[in-house]
Amino acid sequence: MNAVIARITLRQLLSRRRTLLLLALSAVVVLVAILRRVSPAGADAKFTADLLSNLGIATLMPLVALIFGTGAIGAELEEGTAVYILAKPISRWVVVATKLVVAIGCSVTLTSIPILIAGLLAGGDARLAIAFAVASAIGSALYCAIFVALSLVTSRAFIWGLGYVLVWEGFLAGLFTGTRTLSVREHTLAFTQALANPAPDVFKADLDITTAIVVAGVVGVFAVVLALRRLSRIEIAGEVV
Amino acid sequence: MTIEHGSPAATTKVEAGEAPAAPVELTGVSRWYGNVVAVNEVSFRLEPGVTGLLGPNGAGKSTLLHLIAGLLAPSAGSVTIAGRPAFGDPNVYREIGLVPEREAVYPFLTGREFVEANAKLQGLPDPGSAAKRAIATFELTEAQDRPLAGYSKGMRQRAKVAAAFVHDPRILLLDEPFNGMDPRQRIHTMAFLRKLAEEGRTILFSSHILEEVERVADRVLVVIAGRLAASGDFHAIRRLMTDRPHTFTVRSSNDRRLATQLLGDPFVTGVTLDDGLLVARAADYGAFSRAVAARAREADVTLYEVLPTDESLESVFSYLVRG
Repeated sequence: MNAVIARITLRQLLSRRRTLLLLALSAVVVLVAILRRVSPAGADAKFTADLLSNLGIATLMPLVALIFGTGAIGAELEEGTAVYILAKPISRWVVVATKLVVAIGCSVTLTSIPILIAGLLAGGDARLAIAFAVASAIGSALYCAIFVALSLVTSRAFIWGLGYVLVWEGFLAGLFTGTRTLSVREHTLAFTQALANPAPDVFKADLDITTAIVVAGVVGVFAVVLALRRLSRIEIAGEVV
Repeated sequence: MTIEHGSPAATTKVEAGEAPAAPVELTGVSRWYGNVVAVNEVSFRLEPGVTGLLGPNGAGKSTLLHLIAGLLAPSAGSVTIAGRPAFGDPNVYREIGLVPEREAVYPFLTGREFVEANAKLQGLPDPGSAAKRAIATFELTEAQDRPLAGYSKGMRQRAKVAAAFVHDPRILLLDEPFNGMDPRQRIHTMAFLRKLAEEGRTILFSSHILEEVERVADRVLVVIAGRLAASGDFHAIRRLMTDRPHTFTVRSSNDRRLATQLLGDPFVTGVTLDDGLLVARAADYGAFSRAVAARAREADVTLYEVLPTDESLESVFSYLVRG
């Protein structure tokens, strides 16, 4: 970790206007929880699980990680400021690790904390809320690793990442067992179930925990190694030819 | 260095016998992007002093600088910094300071934060003092606590130079460093580069403006279409550029009589009369410009227009390539 790179990355990621949009999205999850709690229907564990899995894990988590993950290094490469970090006597491994940790930190802050608050406010099962928050932190980390690597593979990382989230996770992962195993969302839900062990009528993940741990581990390590390899060999052209 | 002037293939010679590990050495370096060749078989070595990298836009100057800065890998050949390969070794950046051409900086950082961040990333023991010194050198003390987003282009350029210089590197690479600077800042920065060179540092800066190079550089590398067209002492190359044939088109009340008069001048190498237009070729641009009005007066001819046909930098460079 390098404190200077971390501070610059943090300010870069949080100074963007779209961060305000993400804050608004985070606030929506909490707001819906509050509205449900004060409504005549009151607290309900099933509603809380649905809210956190559909709005929190399926929507908020990938969008936040996509923006921070692709922005951590990719935006710097695109804008041309990366040269100030890469043309320094600092190992590329330190650069990748620092950027990744900052992206994960930002993502967890804007995903897991709102999920925890929303889960606790909506009521029903505090243990389930905590499980969703912890699992979303793991899911955010995995997403960030994938998106950081993606931003070093293609300059259109945001588009590809959005495609993955919408098409693969939003559509294909629900259709087949095979595609499900390569879905970060399904991994996260499997972690949630393993952590909270809720009643099946409240919440049930489609993927078993062993598969989720193995696949998530392999994907995470692969993404980090890929990011490091790409950044070690990355070139910064002087002029457009 | 020796002056080379002629066919591109024969222009990349340097004198033999220098110390084995020059601060910067390129040997048969080419760099291509797909089928576009940006740099083509370039060899030279840089010694302490200021070297100007001169060439028209798109000639490959920035690509060369980025190759030397280790930000690009050569497709062929080798680039070394003090004997070590430039690409793939972050430790070379202890020796190098780089001012990129792109204007992008972190807009949210103040000038002081930006320079200090560079000092910290270089691992300096006292980054605060180093930043303060660099900021003062480039006259940014007053603006140091303002965000870079509010800086003018010239101020941003100076902040970039201060950041590149903050760790007192032995080699300074500057890509179009005077862009956006006002004349006073330009002169100040030029004087500073001269001072650094006198202290034994190796400085390479790119420019497409001949006068900038003339003011600062002892030596010059002329790059055209990715090839090294000429290299060596600036003044000798400048002479080559000045002494090349120049073509003027002249419109007057009596082109034929003026042509006869002009042919009497030794620096006029030829005249043609074509479709009511007098085209004169002269070996000396200045002498012709001064003489043409006098000859017209002597011949009792009224001059309507005297135009140099092509004085663009590209044409000057292409003359050097053609030889």
